Amino acid sequence: MTKAINMAFPYRASAQIGINQLKRRDFLRAGLVFGAGATGLAAGYAAVPDAFARAVYAAKLEGLTNDNILVMIQLAGGNDGLRTVVPLADPSLHDLRPKLSGPMVSQALPLNDQFGLNHNLGAIKGLWDKGKVAIVQGVGYPNPTFSHFESIRIWETGDPTRRQVDGWLGRTLASAYDSNGHPLTGCACGATDVPGALRDLQATLTVIQDQKTFGFTGGSEVEAAVGALYKGTPGIYGALFDTAIATATETMATLRTSAASYQPMAAYTDKVQLVYSSKNQLAAALQLAAELIVTGTGVKLLHVTLGGFDTHYTELNRHDDLMGYLDSAVGAFYQDLAAHGMSDKVLIATWSEFGRRPKENASGGTDHGAAAPLLLIGDPVKGGLYGEAPSLTSLDATGNLKYAVDFRSVYQEILGGHLGADSSKILGASFDSVPFLKAPVSATV
Amino acid sequence: MSLAPSPEKVPSASVQSRRGITRRQALAAALATGVGVGAVRLLGGSMQSLATPRAGSGTDWVSPLGSESARVMQLLRRTSFGYTPVQLESALSDGFNKTVDRLIETNPVEPPTLGAAATPGGRFAVGQIQQWWLDHILTTAAPFAERMTLFWHGHFTSDYRKVADDTFIYWQNLTWRRMSMTNLRSMLMQVTTDPAMLRYLDLATSTGQSPNENYSRELMELFTMGPDNYTEDDVRESAKALAGWQLPQPDSNATVTVANGVTRNLPVYSTQRPGVFNTRRAFKGNVTYLGKTGPLDTQGVIDRILAQPATAAFIAGKVAQHFVTAQPDAGYVKTLADTFRRSNYDMKTLMRAVLTSPEFSSAQSYRTLVKSPTDFMVHAARALGSTNLSKVIAAAGSGMGQTLFDPPDVSGWPNNEAWISSNTVVERVNFVTAALSQVKSALPSASDAPRRQLDGVLSPQTASLLNQALDDRARWFITLASPEFQLK
Repeated sequence: MTKAINMAFPYRASAQIGINQLKRRDFLRAGLVFGAGATGLAAGYAAVPDAFARAVYAAKLEGLTNDNILVMIQLAGGNDGLRTVVPLADPSLHDLRPKLSGPMVSQALPLNDQFGLNHNLGAIKGLWDKGKVAIVQGVGYPNPTFSHFESIRIWETGDPTRRQVDGWLGRTLASAYDSNGHPLTGCACGATDVPGALRDLQATLTVIQDQKTFGFTGGSEVEAAVGALYKGTPGIYGALFDTAIATATETMATLRTSAASYQPMAAYTDKVQLVYSSKNQLAAALQLAAELIVTGTGVKLLHVTLGGFDTHYTELNRHDDLMGYLDSAVGAFYQDLAAHGMSDKVLIATWSEFGRRPKENASGGTDHGAAAPLLLIGDPVKGGLYGEAPSLTSLDATGNLKYAVDFRSVYQEILGGHLGADSSKILGASFDSVPFLKAPVSATV
Repeated sequence: MSLAPSPEKVPSASVQSRRGITRRQALAAALATGVGVGAVRLLGGSMQSLATPRAGSGTDWVSPLGSESARVMQLLRRTSFGYTPVQLESALSDGFNKTVDRLIETNPVEPPTLGAAATPGGRFAVGQIQQWWLDHILTTAAPFAERMTLFWHGHFTSDYRKVADDTFIYWQNLTWRRMSMTNLRSMLMQVTTDPAMLRYLDLATSTGQSPNENYSRELMELFTMGPDNYTEDDVRESAKALAGWQLPQPDSNATVTVANGVTRNLPVYSTQRPGVFNTRRAFKGNVTYLGKTGPLDTQGVIDRILAQPATAAFIAGKVAQHFVTAQPDAGYVKTLADTFRRSNYDMKTLMRAVLTSPEFSSAQSYRTLVKSPTDFMVHAARALGSTNLSKVIAAAGSGMGQTLFDPPDVSGWPNNEAWISSNTVVERVNFVTAALSQVKSALPSASDAPRRQLDGVLSPQTASLLNQALDDRARWFITLASPEFQLK
């Protein structure tokens, strides 16, 4: 079955256009033909599970020995850190934000005499009081970009030099988990495409927008026909298509079982019309995540997104609404996990491409900024404040907050301390420690 | 010139079934197909040979683009959302060059007036405007204008949620269509003063005293030059220079009960109009922008952007990526960009250069683009000869990642491999099932579908399943749900 392969794919990567990797994919496809076994995981998409003949999942690869699970919540658009973790005692806040600062300080839920949580983060404040919330302040990276898309890419890849194209969680999947045998190991809930953080050509990923509609209309006949149709598809997208169908088919089978055995133990609610661009149904996505977790489907890395944080105008009510939305979804999610006895396994972490400008603009909003706090929530967390809140008086040359903690320090603790993965291999370096975990599983620094 | 004559009827296997292929047949097909067999080229061949696919030389599709009919079909797939049988016959008889001329020189056709646009405050369901546009896409005599309108909708993008006035969204669609094949200089002024855009990127609330940077940044990063070709100071300075635009004055206001007895005073416009410039909100003084200092107005900002070589390269690169191949060669992009710039940014010149370039019809470009959900669904409707699918199409886009007037973010829609995930492929298949169930009575014959819709270039799996399908419904299902049909 050795065949001549057309490896002469003619397009050179062009720096200004996209981050596609067709050459590499071609290479991986070649692995399919020449035999996946020899190169193991390097065969990538080649090792597609057979939707028809596969009997059992392969055992999890050596390496990760714990059952911990990570849920990343993306606050897309650039979350205003100063309205999330509010400085209560800094008089310069009012000068920078005459319109936006008043109620946010007086209504904040105090964490100590210096800082308070946004008044709509009541459920998260409740978890803080129980020592289940770590707040890392002043998170960022050197020479920040103020482009959404460049900064998102930096956070997704974990590489401020913008050379890396695979996502940091995708690389984790590819190097530490047998995701080819477990298509649900990495899963994006409530999305239609693969989030950049999970992207890696060597990782199999599942994307489920809405569980209720995730299935083939027409049932098993359609499923069988499509399974037969999408096999050995030629061309540069062939393996992607085939993997997507095989993964979907596997996932549907898993969901049929899990949906039957899952009873939600919390009230998840999604308001239909929240604020502009908040099309993501965060609570529904987290409820799906809970189902996948508590029914033992083998999920490890989950990603959900809440959009609408690009608050350039009339930020006051919009951001408060978003905080409330985040809070009720996370609160229900934690409660559900706890009621199912799974909360000790799950770490919830927020991320956003940047914070916002300390000085408000004419539209009653704020422009793109830099450093901001991250929230880490769950039983594995050692509650408290970490990092260092940026000064409001010593801003950088662009009028933005200076960072104190590299975001990769947070990734490092998640990877090494929670997942037990080799963080220095995945991130390509070691960073200062931010010890926000109660009992880190390894000290890979 | 035309396609080869219709092939003989495909001999059907075993038991007839109204429900199409059975699981057993599908399994048999899966087993029957060998490992590593390449694509089959069938152009001009007979369906008989589907059962015994000729092995290709590798794992890539065998390009049929040596044949003019295949080049014409690819041209229509990439520029016109596919084709109906009549459109295809007409283009085939014109040939490739004449079809390009017709695409470039045909003026956009105005869609019928959308009655709902008169609703005070534009408070009507977005589904109405989605369906209105899709109805026009499905029936217009100038589909290339609609394809370009969709391209610009993804480029100069706005979403109905933040704009919060569907009349403004409707106007934007009309403007983008009218300007779609004009000149980038005039286009950028229309984009800047478009009411939906004024609201979407906050220019309507920016002032010279306290500028909002949102539009200023995206104008450079996403609309014209691309990242890394300007500084943060440029963002701040052009935010000053651009400040002063406001939404147009309405003709009147109407008091409308919105919900639970709550009333609102909403604007009513009798005609479409752009934003207005309020000098009192403008910045007074010099700005230093893209290397020059002095007073600067909106036209000045645009002209300085057009003076940057990065602009032509950025637009040409994006066009090449959308119409030619996922990763265009840098030299190719430069050639297009030079042509574009020399023409003073004339879109007809650029698009003609793209469509007539050897790269567009080269074997290497064959099936290197993934149809966007709208491309895919409209082409399926055209193939089925159905013009009543706009409602189904409007509803089905979101699960595939493309809801018209609701892009994921300000960078518009991603393309190609981003359209492929476990969620989107299932939704694509489900759309085919839904579309076929809508066309109950007059399903066109599917005997020609593999050659007319898939160029006769089929994977062994597709060929085998088609050959085993028992009726036209099953053949259409396989044709439209196939990986081949997802590509263009």
